[in-house]
Amino acid sequence: MRDLMPGQQRWVAALAETPLKAVDVLDTEAPPESQWKEAWKRLRRNPLFWMSSVLLALLAVVLAVPGLFTDADPTFCQLSDSLANGRAGHPFGFDKQGCDVWSRTLYGARASVLVGVLTTLLVATIGIVTGAIAGFYGTFPDSIVSRLGDIFFAIPLLLAAIVTLSIFNNLNPDRGFWGGCLAIVFTLALFAWPQITRQMRASVLQVKNLEFVDAAKAIGASPRVNLLRHVVPNSLAPVIVTSMISLGVFITTEATLSFLGLGLPSSVVSWGNDISAAQNLVRSGQDLSVMFVPASALAITVLAFILLGDAVRDALDPKAGKS
Amino acid sequence: MWWYVAKRLLQTIPVLLGATFIIYALVFLRPGDPIVGLFGDKPVNAATRAAIEAQYNLDQPFIVQWLLFLKDAIVFDFGQSYSGRSVNDLLAATFPTTIKLALMALVLELVLGVLAGTLAGLRKGKLFDSTMLVVSLVVIAVPIFVFGFVMQLFFGVKWDLVPPTVGANDSFKNLLLPATVLGLISFAYVLRLTRSAVAENLLADHVRTARAKGMSEGTVVRRHVLRNSLIPVITYLGTDLGALMAGAVVTEGIFNVNGVGGLAYDAIRTGESPTVVSVVTVMVLVYVVTSLLVDLLYAVLDPRIRYA
Repeated sequence: MRDLMPGQQRWVAALAETPLKAVDVLDTEAPPESQWKEAWKRLRRNPLFWMSSVLLALLAVVLAVPGLFTDADPTFCQLSDSLANGRAGHPFGFDKQGCDVWSRTLYGARASVLVGVLTTLLVATIGIVTGAIAGFYGTFPDSIVSRLGDIFFAIPLLLAAIVTLSIFNNLNPDRGFWGGCLAIVFTLALFAWPQITRQMRASVLQVKNLEFVDAAKAIGASPRVNLLRHVVPNSLAPVIVTSMISLGVFITTEATLSFLGLGLPSSVVSWGNDISAAQNLVRSGQDLSVMFVPASALAITVLAFILLGDAVRDALDPKAGKS
Repeated sequence: MWWYVAKRLLQTIPVLLGATFIIYALVFLRPGDPIVGLFGDKPVNAATRAAIEAQYNLDQPFIVQWLLFLKDAIVFDFGQSYSGRSVNDLLAATFPTTIKLALMALVLELVLGVLAGTLAGLRKGKLFDSTMLVVSLVVIAVPIFVFGFVMQLFFGVKWDLVPPTVGANDSFKNLLLPATVLGLISFAYVLRLTRSAVAENLLADHVRTARAKGMSEGTVVRRHVLRNSLIPVITYLGTDLGALMAGAVVTEGIFNVNGVGGLAYDAIRTGESPTVVSVVTVMVLVYVVTSLLVDLLYAVLDPRIRYA
């Protein structure tokens, strides 16, 4: 070792002078915390997470019992009330058909959120399964999935949805609540899955070369066990974040399709239908508030899902958040 | 490099084949007889029907119809619509307007998004950054046609700054408002992408080195931070031109623009299958070409990427 030059000496106090404190104790026996538990610890310190959670909890109550916030019937409309201002029991007034705007907004949440949630679940399921198979097994399954994904990705989502929904419309124009919702869910999922597949595939490709996967292989785990127990759970983080954000995007897409007259059947109470029904009132400058209420409800809901997605991303990937 | 371009070009062939096949299958699945529609209330004479079926290959099986469409589409001949107009003429009448609209939207979102995103990334956590984040979230959360109507009402009708609808005259000034509305959502995404990329790159080692060499802050940001941060933005924009052209269905409807979006929407509603298939094919082509260009741009932006 080189001799120390003057000024390079380090003086370290003897252990007896500064004994270990409670804060220095490290529990070496404790099991390592899982990725999800650590993420949850970071997540609950994030005010954005609580903000979006409160909004979504409120939304859940509206979905379950819309009657809690209004006594008006969303389908009870009197033309004598057409565009009437708000009065007791009807805080936001009436639309062109004389229906209560606030009540329709509350009841309309069901269809819009249902479409968003079901589409996201379906897209995530397809994406995770195909992406995991493509990334893990490579070669032939990968080429099939990736090329198919390229093809569906190349067709613009909105245009493809219009073409597909016009088929549903021609076959059966009044599909009722469930038929209407499921037609949109199916259509959007058919053309939206490649995004999640690509992300899952990339994530699996990264994870499958990590040491713990080799370790599992070394102790005799079969490829299938390895995929399901080790690779997939550790590749899910980016897919979950994208899914939460795209949930909001699907809700706005449903509204856009309803605006084009291809979304939910007009008999279904939904935000998209109410917003597009109010378009002529806005175009003529007659009344902005009839569109404002359902549009705000939709915007706040989408915002809550995007904020939640952002918060979860920061929690799962602290490096991106800290910079 | 040239080998890579050739390989990528070859890869686009199955994409084009598959995408046209899917659209053809969807259009084929649509119930309804196009020939009955042509004649309205009049009865259809059997010989006429046979002649029309032969003209549009409707007497052939589905796969053969698709192959015959491809054979002509390779030389950009999209045939005739059921109403007897050349689809090429229809496309020629509408495509330039939509391309102009989409490119204007693209330039607007790129310039404003990168500018605002860079400033926000440089001032992370400050007032401007927070404001821009809120603005971008609101833009993403509100359906685009709501913005369209409200902006049309205020800028077009109440304040009379720009014409509220476009009509036949697709001048720069007329298209400004529709292009802004069309590019609004992508502006928010570009802003968010640029912001996080700039904030991340500011902490990178090569930026510290550049500062240590005594470069001015402006040069560091322009040459070392921004250039790297543009890579995710360019990737996004590559897929965005196709999405913008599809999004034009909504914007063109609101502002009465005579473009491809309106053409596609009307064709889908009236069951003009030849037009629908042709429009989607052209849009897929636009997507394929732009994503190829973006892949090549990577090499310019990021010297670490080399195509052998």
